[in-house]
Amino acid sequence: MKHKMLVVVLALALILPAAAVQAQGDGVTLQFWHTYNETSPENEMLVTTLIPMFEEAHPGIKVESVPFPYGEFRQTLLTSLAGGEGPDLARLDIIWSPEFAALGVLEPLDEIMPDFEELAAAVFPGPLSTNVYDGHTYGLPLDTNTRVFMWNKTLYERAGLEGPPATIDELKAQCEPIKALGDDIYLFSDGGTYGWAVLPWIWSFGGDITDPEITRASGYLNSEATVAAYEFLAEMVNSGCFSPSFLGGGMDTGQGYFNDIFASMLDGPWMFPIAEAQYPDFEIQAALMPAGPGGSISVVGGENIAVFKGSRDTEAALEFLRFTQSDEYQLKMSEVGQLTVKPALLEDEYFQNHPYYGVFLEQLQTARARTPHPTWTQMEEILSDAGQLILRGEASAQEALDAAAEEIDSLLAEGL
Amino acid sequence: MSILPRTQRGFQITILIILIAGAVIAVTPMVYMVSTAFKPAAYVPEFPPRFIPSNPTLENFRTAFASRNFDRAFFNSAKVAVATSFVVTALASMMAYAFARFEFPGKTLIFYSVLAMMMVPTMMLIIPQFILARRLGLQNSHTGLVMVYAAGGMAFNMFLLRGFFEELPRELEESALIDGANQFVIFTRIMLPLARPALSTVAVFSFLGAWDEYIWALTILTDPAKRTLPIAIQNFRGAHATDWGLVFAASLTAVVPTVLLFIFFQRYFVQGISTGALKG
Repeated sequence: MKHKMLVVVLALALILPAAAVQAQGDGVTLQFWHTYNETSPENEMLVTTLIPMFEEAHPGIKVESVPFPYGEFRQTLLTSLAGGEGPDLARLDIIWSPEFAALGVLEPLDEIMPDFEELAAAVFPGPLSTNVYDGHTYGLPLDTNTRVFMWNKTLYERAGLEGPPATIDELKAQCEPIKALGDDIYLFSDGGTYGWAVLPWIWSFGGDITDPEITRASGYLNSEATVAAYEFLAEMVNSGCFSPSFLGGGMDTGQGYFNDIFASMLDGPWMFPIAEAQYPDFEIQAALMPAGPGGSISVVGGENIAVFKGSRDTEAALEFLRFTQSDEYQLKMSEVGQLTVKPALLEDEYFQNHPYYGVFLEQLQTARARTPHPTWTQMEEILSDAGQLILRGEASAQEALDAAAEEIDSLLAEGL
Repeated sequence: MSILPRTQRGFQITILIILIAGAVIAVTPMVYMVSTAFKPAAYVPEFPPRFIPSNPTLENFRTAFASRNFDRAFFNSAKVAVATSFVVTALASMMAYAFARFEFPGKTLIFYSVLAMMMVPTMMLIIPQFILARRLGLQNSHTGLVMVYAAGGMAFNMFLLRGFFEELPRELEESALIDGANQFVIFTRIMLPLARPALSTVAVFSFLGAWDEYIWALTILTDPAKRTLPIAIQNFRGAHATDWGLVFAASLTAVVPTVLLFIFFQRYFVQGISTGALKG
């Protein structure tokens, strides 16, 4: 319902007199909205190296970088667009792309870019797929990441364990030796039952949220494999193998990991610079997500770049978008932790010699994106609530997932 | 050596313990913020938590002020907060005085209509306000912030001040009228000085409201050089990892002026709250 109103307001706003700033004869200033943290090296790279590089090659086009806090970005962007005033380009979390595409505010790149096929062929298909809505592609991937299994060497050694588990069964077997170290030591931890946390388990157990066409959840979210994944998580949390942080609250996962309380976690490449800055003596050990009946499947994160309708100068905006897909841009951003979306670059010396990107790149080959659908935000809420009921023992996995599947079915039937 | 009876002393000690516990609960987060602001690389919370940093550093403050636009945001916030405080105090006091003292047709209806505005959740207004601001050309302008902040705080402050004015004895105005003063003189020379405690309350609360406001400022300001402090602080947070030392150093910097303001005006506005709000 909220969305229907928004669509109306948005449509009105688009019909009404367009952008306040007109493209002037002597050049145009594009606004690029993003969520790079102000003091981060990636923001520094963008503002002091990459944008100047682009501006030099394209006299007459200026790019203004506008940082937003991640937490409020989606809402602020929706409000601005409803008011008829948006950016020319934005870096969108991959889970937001379908929603903005469905609102009709993004340019369909496959229709307006003559060189679209070529650009699309150069990037990983997984991240690219998060830009597709209703048969058209509304953006290109900008950077990607995934979660891998990070284990705590000190705890593993103290427990007499050889190394990381290759399978979920092996992980389960590591519980006893780790528990023997103390009641307040846990084998694994995560911060809740949201998609980013539970999807690697669901997929690796061979389960899923919806059918591949994303038309219904019944038969997938409440399938035997998905139920088994949730039953496994509930069993592990209840037996004290996995930390109670899964129920929300509790100790921060990273805090427990670095302080020898949690023996393992799933996390992304950003943990390495954090360890270097804050725990210089700690050596993160990374391995693939333990495999289940469905394989070793983790979750893809990352961002897309999209061009907005009503841009001051669409051609100029597309030019900047092309620049972000260049080897130069992708390599520079990879240097500051933004993993490239171009598989061809992985042959580059930089990646071949990188201390920790390797395991992420391997995991990315099977990693999957969270359901690319405009209603993902609502779907995730349903999913997260069902997970809490199951882990707290308030409902059986089958009951909770039957109900959640039904809710998601009606959400999908209703559309936006 | 107390001269109080035993039971009363016991009662006092109990009260004291409760007050100390309350103070500890209120102050702990603040102390933790201050100590974290001086910790290097605080991405992940320490275990066990430490209130005294092991290697205190000023690096976080240096990083904050060296970043693009942080000092600018500080100045912007000060400008917007002072202007808001001024506009609200001036307009709300006039409105409150009119409602307290004058009789005019539709007074009750207008009064309650204004009060009803207090009941509308801010988030509901954000899209209409945004469209309005855009039509008025107030996007990316501090005027756009001040107008919305002033309008938002008007109803409550008017209500507070009206209660205060109503408590002042009418004889004061009557004798001034006999001495030949007009309404403007009565208002500015007699009523306003008497209302100083209440006015300070209104001024300080309006200042704080504008100083802290985040969502509206984030929505209408897309020019990084015009943004205010709450946005600058939030922009230090990352999507995956946040250096809390940096965020808290920036927050601490933002809190200092408000604490000074409180110490400065404390006497007035504690009095203002306790008297003005009594009568509605």
